[in-house]
Amino acid sequence: MSEERKKILEMLAAGKITVEESEKLLAAISAPETATGTAEPGTRQPFKYLRVLVEPGPGSESQERVNIRVPYKLIRAGLKWASFIPKDAQSKINEALQEKGINFDFDRIKPEDIEELVAQLNDLTVEVEGKEKVRIFCET
Amino acid sequence: MLPMILKMRIVGESGKRFRLFFPVILVWIILFALLLALLPLILLAAILSAPWGPGFRLLAIYPLLVAVLFNLSGLHIDVQDARQQTYLHFS
Repeated sequence: MSEERKKILEMLAAGKITVEESEKLLAAISAPETATGTAEPGTRQPFKYLRVLVEPGPGSESQERVNIRVPYKLIRAGLKWASFIPKDAQSKINEALQEKGINFDFDRIKPEDIEELVAQLNDLTVEVEGKEKVRIFCET
Repeated sequence: MLPMILKMRIVGESGKRFRLFFPVILVWIILFALLLALLPLILLAAILSAPWGPGFRLLAIYPLLVAVLFNLSGLHIDVQDARQQTYLHFS
């Protein structure tokens, strides 16, 4: 039995958490174990959806809510349209990026790079809390 | 998989509600027929623009469009504020 499981069961026995809470915690710690158990080392399961959530922050009068779920495959397919961006527009993008201090050559992006870029989105988690709470994350 | 149904809900400022449960497969059928009809023109454009423009890359529009359409399934957009709401879901 792992240390985390022991702790959760001890907390349950001590009455610090309810049965439902302990179930959730046990499920949460067992999920990554099963995921790594099935996947080969070095390979990762791609995410299924990119989620964007915007909710009113605490004390905010705004009632704006945004809930967007974009399938991973749609992002991958959509990015391939980048090859249709005309050369003139690509150079304008490069200039604009360089003005902002980003030395990046848009022409050099290859389909393999796009694949890698999208695959790396797996690690993306953005959380901003202000007037509105913004969360961008990947969902499997 | 190609999305079959589009669920759409729009609530306007005046409280007017618009709900749509649309078999989007009908649009795909028309779109694929249109793409097929346009194929000779695109082929011509590809040949003509080969020396200076996108050339045969234009033909890649077809697989790319199919890739986008087939992966629309699961796209979910829900934007709302106190007065308005827009909801779109492809399934």
